[in-house]
Amino acid sequence: MPRLGMTMEEGTVVRWPLSVGDPVQKGALVLVIESEKNEVDIEAPASGFFRHVYIQEGETVPCGALLGAITETADEPFDAGAFHAAEHRPEEAAGGGLQVKTAGGGLQVKTAGGGLQVKSAPAPGAPRPAGERAEPPVAPAARAAARKLAIDPRRVPGTGPGGRVTKQDVEAFAVAREALLPVGGGVSLEVLAEGEGDPVLLLPGLGTDVSSFARQTPMLVERFRVHGVNPRGVGLSDAPEAEVYEVAQTAADASRVCEGPAHVIGASLGAAAAIELALAHPDAVRSLTLITPFVLATPRLLALGDGWRRLATEASPEALAAGLLPWFFSSAFLADEAVRSRTLRGLARTVSRVPAPTIGRMAAGLTRWSGSRSLDLGRITTPTLVIAAGEDLLTPAAEQVAEAIPGAKRLVVEGAGHAVALEAPDAVNEAIAAHLAESTRGRARSAFEST
Amino acid sequence: MDLSRDDLLGVYRRMRTIRAFEEKLQELVAAGKVGGFMHLYVGEEAVAVGVCTHLGDADYVGSTHRGHGHCIAKGVDVKAMIAELLARRTGTNRGKGGSMHIADVDKGMLGANGIVGGGIPLVTGAALSAQVLGKPNVAVGFFGDGATNQGQFHESLTMASNWGLPAVYVCENNGFGEFTPTEFAVPVKDIADRAAAYGMRAEIADGMDFFDVYEKAGRAIELARRGEGPTLLECKTYRFAGHYVGDPTPYRNKEEVEDWIQNRDPLDLFESKATEAGVLAADDLRTVDGEVDQLLREAVAEAEQAPKPEPADVLTDVYVRY
Amino acid sequence: MARQLHTGGAINEAIAIAMRSDPSVILMGEDVAGGGDRSKEGTEEMGGVLGTTRGLVGEFGMNRVRDTPIAEMGLLGTAVGAAATGLRPIAELMFMDFLGTCLDPLLNQAAKLRYMFGGKAKVPLTVRTVSGAGMQAAAQHSQSLYWMTTGIPGLKTVIPSSPSEAKGLLLASIRDDDPVIFCEAKGILNQVEDVPEGDYEIPLGEARVVREGSDVSLVGFGATVRVALEAAAALAGAGTSAEVLDLRSLSPLDEEAVLGSLEKTGRMVIVDESTPRCSVARDIAALCVDRGFDFLNAPVKCVTAPHTPVPFSGVLEQAFLPSAQDVLDAVGEMG
Repeated sequence: MPRLGMTMEEGTVVRWPLSVGDPVQKGALVLVIESEKNEVDIEAPASGFFRHVYIQEGETVPCGALLGAITETADEPFDAGAFHAAEHRPEEAAGGGLQVKTAGGGLQVKTAGGGLQVKSAPAPGAPRPAGERAEPPVAPAARAAARKLAIDPRRVPGTGPGGRVTKQDVEAFAVAREALLPVGGGVSLEVLAEGEGDPVLLLPGLGTDVSSFARQTPMLVERFRVHGVNPRGVGLSDAPEAEVYEVAQTAADASRVCEGPAHVIGASLGAAAAIELALAHPDAVRSLTLITPFVLATPRLLALGDGWRRLATEASPEALAAGLLPWFFSSAFLADEAVRSRTLRGLARTVSRVPAPTIGRMAAGLTRWSGSRSLDLGRITTPTLVIAAGEDLLTPAAEQVAEAIPGAKRLVVEGAGHAVALEAPDAVNEAIAAHLAESTRGRARSAFEST
Repeated sequence: MDLSRDDLLGVYRRMRTIRAFEEKLQELVAAGKVGGFMHLYVGEEAVAVGVCTHLGDADYVGSTHRGHGHCIAKGVDVKAMIAELLARRTGTNRGKGGSMHIADVDKGMLGANGIVGGGIPLVTGAALSAQVLGKPNVAVGFFGDGATNQGQFHESLTMASNWGLPAVYVCENNGFGEFTPTEFAVPVKDIADRAAAYGMRAEIADGMDFFDVYEKAGRAIELARRGEGPTLLECKTYRFAGHYVGDPTPYRNKEEVEDWIQNRDPLDLFESKATEAGVLAADDLRTVDGEVDQLLREAVAEAEQAPKPEPADVLTDVYVRY
Repeated sequence: MARQLHTGGAINEAIAIAMRSDPSVILMGEDVAGGGDRSKEGTEEMGGVLGTTRGLVGEFGMNRVRDTPIAEMGLLGTAVGAAATGLRPIAELMFMDFLGTCLDPLLNQAAKLRYMFGGKAKVPLTVRTVSGAGMQAAAQHSQSLYWMTTGIPGLKTVIPSSPSEAKGLLLASIRDDDPVIFCEAKGILNQVEDVPEGDYEIPLGEARVVREGSDVSLVGFGATVRVALEAAAALAGAGTSAEVLDLRSLSPLDEEAVLGSLEKTGRMVIVDESTPRCSVARDIAALCVDRGFDFLNAPVKCVTAPHTPVPFSGVLEQAFLPSAQDVLDAVGEMG
């Protein structure tokens, strides 16, 4: 579609006067188009044969679209794909005209045929298409610092007004990133390690970070070396491009976090990763604590994953948290106004650390994993504790997981929702403490027995 | 008359140089070699030369947009002037001034001035310098009849009179302020009448007659040098050309212009007086004419070969130090 | 040795030192002596409407201390001509508002002669003028028009922020070979501080860090330096470390100092008592965005007077002038 004027952006094919196969002379009428209410005759740019019609009469397409093809001979092949590839190659600067130097990432200005053409490539922080949530603004100084430190400023949590990312935020991010733990394949994870003792691994669920274990961590660090693992795409952890973040990958990443077998505590999708870890890397697991686990996702859980991704794309973290709150917590818990608003703020903070693409990838991993291990639970030999919640809307079959794992202990917290670790920390902590103590003793005993 | 034969030849040479310079300039404009606004002094030569013959390099003159004549009369190098008008680096102003700002401070020429009346306070300041520093120099301001309506004129003459500055204010009353006859714009019969308001001496001279201008300017300059304060000298003259090069002059009566040119040309008047007195012969003057023509031909040829300013020169000489 | 002087005293001292050290320095203006006839028994000179130049005619005589008529165009035009022909005049334009009567000698003569003449002239002229609001002098005697002279190539514009600064900057201005517009802001005229004795110059075009800080830069000049310092003290109380930069001269402008401070703090507030459109404040804001973009952690803020004439009423005049609270509000807005 030729651009006939400065303001023309699209045109409509009115008529193809020739039939496919007809010979055509350069300058002959080959096409009539309509643009801005005017019909315009288009002459053949070269002699040959009229061979292909890609845009039918009556269709409207943007300028630059391939409409039809004239070839030199009557039967040579014409490759529309190759044409597109060639046409969309970056233009080379036209000699003799104005030359505009561009700084990387910004506007690209090319001159052609006398007039200036401005072709914009979205720069980091450039306006996004409607329907996508505006990213927090990045201050110019932060942009510059991020460039220097090779950081994507959009991944930096901003502390300025409206979440503006400042230079200091970028620098803090860089420092935090220094402490990232490489888990292979060029990927590093944010691992919050604290305490001394045998290792504990915390694996959070879909779309959350290790702060979902906030009520357990203080108790655990008193006796253990606790490694809170933010999986791929969460917090400061790397977010490699992928369609799916496989649960098996999450488990493999976790297996590289610490030396020696660990007490693995996973919640929800994190529990799935814990199961995967126990099955695939049994030597890495000393004990297993599965909080609200599942092996077959309910349609409701799958639907929530989809809704979550879309909300994360289009709504603010506060709105997303408000939408998620009733799915995670029980009515009894939410009855207290103060508790509800505090919990909402905390959840908003948590979900703000998980960008929408990560939700999509994790949800895809959940879907893929669902049902894949239904028949394997019986193979788990690790001492296991399963914690289920009576009001759990998302993983109501958690208790059945306990039944399928040989020798698994179980705790059912009546009246609690899916986020039972936050909602009923006392009961949960007591059970975990006992389970870990027992598993530690058990190991000591078996070590003693083996000698 | 205190002028020797050589002096008179010098006077004629300067008047002729002004005339030939302006005619050469018209040729150059027609040939498209000179840009910018151009105002010609043709017809007023006797005023500049009559006044400046009394001045040395240490005396200052301030000028107007019609300033080529004042420059030549004050001894500015004609070749450098041509180079300036052709916008060369070798010009008096290194190609940064052009016709309306042509200047040579070393020759006491404080510049043509694109602002009507703008030169008057400058020469007042030059006179102040001489007075404060106790130097025997004078400053002469040339300006037109139109400029006497400007506030700068009134303020400067008031101050000069208050302080008894060694200044001479020379009004070249050529009958028109741009296109408007003086009598429409100036509410006094003679510009000289304005001097009374400043308690200042005034004289009126025939601006077409070198000898009359020379005599009256000499008196004013001598008084100024002696510390007896400023004088307003009105020289009644006529602008043979239009206001600017290309001015079609529909506002002037053709017979009137023709009458001035035929009967009142300052060069003709000078020649007839000087030859009738037997001091100079017509042949002497024709020799000068030839030499002047030769000088201007050389000036144009040399200027055309001279370098133009470099684009980077746009940044220089804004400040002494910045 | 330093003693306490107010700004007028420091300026008077600078003029006297300059006139003693260089016989080509003269002082001219309306009533700079004040009472033209020194021979009248039983009278004393005024030394200007604010008394700034009192005593100078006694030391230097009427040849070098000249009362001009109330004719600013003649006064400044003559000063320009004198400067181009061997003198080094200090011309006093009583109030900066009077630029309206006499712009041509500055705009078209002083600023242009050197350039138009291809570098073959110099105009070592200093125009001292009182600028700014704060004396209830209303709309025609209170304007800060330094933005106008700053925008004219060929002129320099200097504006000191205290008595000791005024003395050193004025001496440098008088001895500078280019025309300098020296603005004496009303807001500093009554300020008193230790002023060093003797002859010292503060170079033009070098800004001064008045107070070191790390979180936000407050750029002021003339009377607004004190406003910025007041705001900085309040910010320190709130845990924000503000750096205060005194520009000292608006042309030449110490761009590197502005950008250096911005690089350090990432935040820039310019405090300018003139009206906002085409102001020095916005000029510096443009500099920050242009050359300092990668330093910016927040939007650049300009704290200026509103786009209005200067009012008479004290209440209105204080509302007109930028205050420390305005600066705090700006810092609060920028985050």
